[in-house]
Amino acid sequence: MIAFTDIVGMDLAKQALMLLAVDPSLGGVVIPAAVGAGKSTLARAFADILPEGTPFVELPLNVTEDRLIGGVDLEATLVKGERVVQHGVLSKAHGGVLYVDSLSLLDSSAVSHVMDAMSRGEVLVEREGLSEVHPSKFMLVGTYDPSDGEVRMGLLDRVGLIVPFTTQNDYRARREILQRNITVKDAEGHEDTRDELNMLKGILDAARELLPQVAMTKEQMQGIVQSALSLGVEGNRVDIFAIRAALASAALNQRTDVDEDDLKLALKLVLVPRATRMPEREEEEQVQDEMPPDEEMPPEEPETEDEEAPADTPDSDAEEEQEETPDMIEELMMDAVETELPDNIMNISLASKKKSKSGSRGEALNNRRGRFVRSQEGEMRSGKVALIPTLISAAPWQESRKRDRAKKGHKLNTALIINKEDVKVKKFRDKSGTLFIFIVDASGSMALNRMRQAKGAVSHLLQNAYVHRDQVALISFRGKQAQLLLPPSQSVDRAKRELDVLPTGGGTPLASAMYLAWETAKQARTKGTSQFMFVFITDGRGNIGLQSGMNPDLPKATKEEIEQEITGLAASVSADGIASIVVDTQMNYLSRGEAPKLAEKLGGRYFYLPNAKAEQIAEAAMS
Amino acid sequence: MTQTASAAKKTASAKAKAGAAAKASAGPKKARTKKKQGQAFPFTAIVGQEEMKLSLILNIIDPRIGGVLVMGHRGTGKSTTVRALAEVLPSIERVKDDVYNRTVSQFIEMEKTGKDGKALTPADMTIEDIQVPVIDLPLGATEDRVCGTIDIEQALTSGVKAFEPGLLAQANRGFLYIDEVNLLDDHLVDVLLDVAASGRNVVEREGISIRHPARFVLVGSGNPEEGELRPQLLDRFGLHARIITITDVERRVDIVKRRREYDDDPQGYVHKWEKEQKKLQAKILKAKDLLPSITMSDDVLTDIAKLCMQLGIDGHRGELTITRTAHAFAAFNGDKEVTMEHVKEIAGLALRHRLRKDPLETLDPGEKIERELAKVLGEEVDA
Repeated sequence: MIAFTDIVGMDLAKQALMLLAVDPSLGGVVIPAAVGAGKSTLARAFADILPEGTPFVELPLNVTEDRLIGGVDLEATLVKGERVVQHGVLSKAHGGVLYVDSLSLLDSSAVSHVMDAMSRGEVLVEREGLSEVHPSKFMLVGTYDPSDGEVRMGLLDRVGLIVPFTTQNDYRARREILQRNITVKDAEGHEDTRDELNMLKGILDAARELLPQVAMTKEQMQGIVQSALSLGVEGNRVDIFAIRAALASAALNQRTDVDEDDLKLALKLVLVPRATRMPEREEEEQVQDEMPPDEEMPPEEPETEDEEAPADTPDSDAEEEQEETPDMIEELMMDAVETELPDNIMNISLASKKKSKSGSRGEALNNRRGRFVRSQEGEMRSGKVALIPTLISAAPWQESRKRDRAKKGHKLNTALIINKEDVKVKKFRDKSGTLFIFIVDASGSMALNRMRQAKGAVSHLLQNAYVHRDQVALISFRGKQAQLLLPPSQSVDRAKRELDVLPTGGGTPLASAMYLAWETAKQARTKGTSQFMFVFITDGRGNIGLQSGMNPDLPKATKEEIEQEITGLAASVSADGIASIVVDTQMNYLSRGEAPKLAEKLGGRYFYLPNAKAEQIAEAAMS
Repeated sequence: MTQTASAAKKTASAKAKAGAAAKASAGPKKARTKKKQGQAFPFTAIVGQEEMKLSLILNIIDPRIGGVLVMGHRGTGKSTTVRALAEVLPSIERVKDDVYNRTVSQFIEMEKTGKDGKALTPADMTIEDIQVPVIDLPLGATEDRVCGTIDIEQALTSGVKAFEPGLLAQANRGFLYIDEVNLLDDHLVDVLLDVAASGRNVVEREGISIRHPARFVLVGSGNPEEGELRPQLLDRFGLHARIITITDVERRVDIVKRRREYDDDPQGYVHKWEKEQKKLQAKILKAKDLLPSITMSDDVLTDIAKLCMQLGIDGHRGELTITRTAHAFAAFNGDKEVTMEHVKEIAGLALRHRLRKDPLETLDPGEKIERELAKVLGEEVDA
């Protein structure tokens, strides 16, 4: 196993983890990174730099509700004849680290429980006749690959530090890191590693001790608050996180006052990742398909020995204490954002559009979640045991079983004798409904009209489909590529907000939209959604290729190539068991019959609805 | 076979003697309330979020208002505020150790006879004062813990089918709080709707048949972006308070400072705010006393009806809620008569969530209510 100090790269992530080690009330660290960046290695290595005996509990993605929260340990209960309580994962992590790999794939009910525990600092167990409170104060360390989908905002809100996402797109830099990771391990003995670890632990201990004495000026506090405001960060809780991060950073550097670097670090790890807008400065036209420069990760840094020193930029000249106003502090901090962070920092979830890995770990089995419908006979291990039906079925046999045992000379040390055939397990019904993905053509002159119809249809669906637990996503396509405007959601408010301002016009990248819709569906599938409906609102006339739309260096796709892409994608979507409808709102005389063809390729239905009302589209989708 | 609540009560007290068993049911519950006391962030120290605070206070003054739904941004102190509420709540009288928090008359009416089979009289009963309970319903709660179920321990050890009351029983005459209410499982929502409508909890399961009173003020909070609330449940909430991120720098710095001060020394901080807390508590008590004597003219009533009609609100719950809330608000202000001024202040709270949702409507519901209100009052409306 690679030690914390041996890991090269991921400097911001390391800094974040060290801040967390200094002040666990920062709540946690979330690290988004692409596959192979070493994020989970780093997270696991984090355990080494924590004080001896700190719990480090890994939360498996397929965790069941009772394992998460805790509950009655049925086997022990039956043996002992009295209620035996089993603590859940959340309570086991108390006082330590709860680690989740692929945080974005954790299903939503588990996320809710983690959030709830974080907000209370304890777990309320109100289950199966049990009413208990278990302490549950932990640091959440989560890693995920943004191409797997986004982490719920509510959860991110309770985590203090979010490491900005960067793609390591330069293969040379990657090779360098890989090489060094290997050489570091080979060349230096384990002695060195241990020394370095111990040194780091010492630094962290000292920082923890110093932390209560670190203070911040009122101006600095105001600077942080102002920055949060100009970045449009939601909620007030972040202020506290940002301040704690800055204080922890100062403590790490053995200072009792907060300096510029501390503030910058707090800004980078707390505020910027939650930004909903960039402060108005002359913004250049954001070019979507341009890869961001990778300034944030300095993989070429020569000396690795320095890695463990938290202050790799020891700023001893913090003496420049002129009268700092909050405005100046904000200015300083914002400068840091602009110069040091990549452009794609906003919207981390959408930053990476690369193909997601095949769903090797995503196929979450769902027979333990959802709505409890009834109990049936089954294996104790195969699902949640339905306690009461089990007891009821065992009750009539008690007398005879006890007699049997007595005859055989067995000791009777249980009040109840439960045999395997008594055991009943709960049967669940998957509660997730259909995910409707609206794929709306925002190109050309009719775009505005289509967009309005789509918006209306989305709202209509959401309002009328509550009981089915349906969700809606919306993809618009224009110009070079499709864009996921609304990730799968049930919220009318959110849908309204996301759909309010929409650019229209330009080319028609239909293939890109189909691909994105399919990816969105696949992601939703890993979270338990099993039914999908694609609602295309388009005239079906794609004119931008999938490959060439993403990569400007490629030659423009020919009409035939585009046609081929669409046909291929349509066949895949259809083969994947996804239902589609195509709504054509174009006036008849303009139509060239492409939309019915698209419907045919998708194996879906075609609706010709010029001037369609939103309700009509919604009804067509639901029928 | 039918058991009455009295049977359940008997088992409850029998269990208390059993010692070990008591730990499992009533024990931790009491420990929790005790632990939280004197530790929660003081209600009066919460900066801003006046809508939510007022809504909660009005519900203490008149629990018939029907609860509060608090929706808004993340990290704005929704749950902190609700959890702080417990400290400013008045106390109520109940029959000593009654799991359903019943009053003496309720107890006699339901139980009729005591353990010995003789008719109960008030003289037989001991009374105790308890603080109005605030019961937390966590998302992961199972239906049996919410409604109550067979006491498994008893079933296992002695084969007796006894009822173990759930959270709905504990919440009787108190507050029931659900954080992230919009994420609550459907079957629990069904249960809540049922109980909220009837004020009683009926348990028919696993060979047990029990009904007990469950009248509580429902408080829910959540972030609308995480999911929609079921319309029927939305309608159950008397008031709807909106929470927004505070954007004033000074106030935000103030929030941070208060929070840090509290984190450093919770006991000391709570002590510092004790006077304010007591003051608010006294004001609420005074309002509660005043409430029955508050009057409202027919003109005001007519205007309220007009308002609801013009806003196209279905049913009569809107009018009823607005009237009750206006009464409570007048009482809180120490006024003897409800005027349209009072109504104006609380109309948004009482009606916001009852307007029909129109996806293409750009006007904020609050503004719409204000505009219609101005029309009713014959005021000039800015175009």
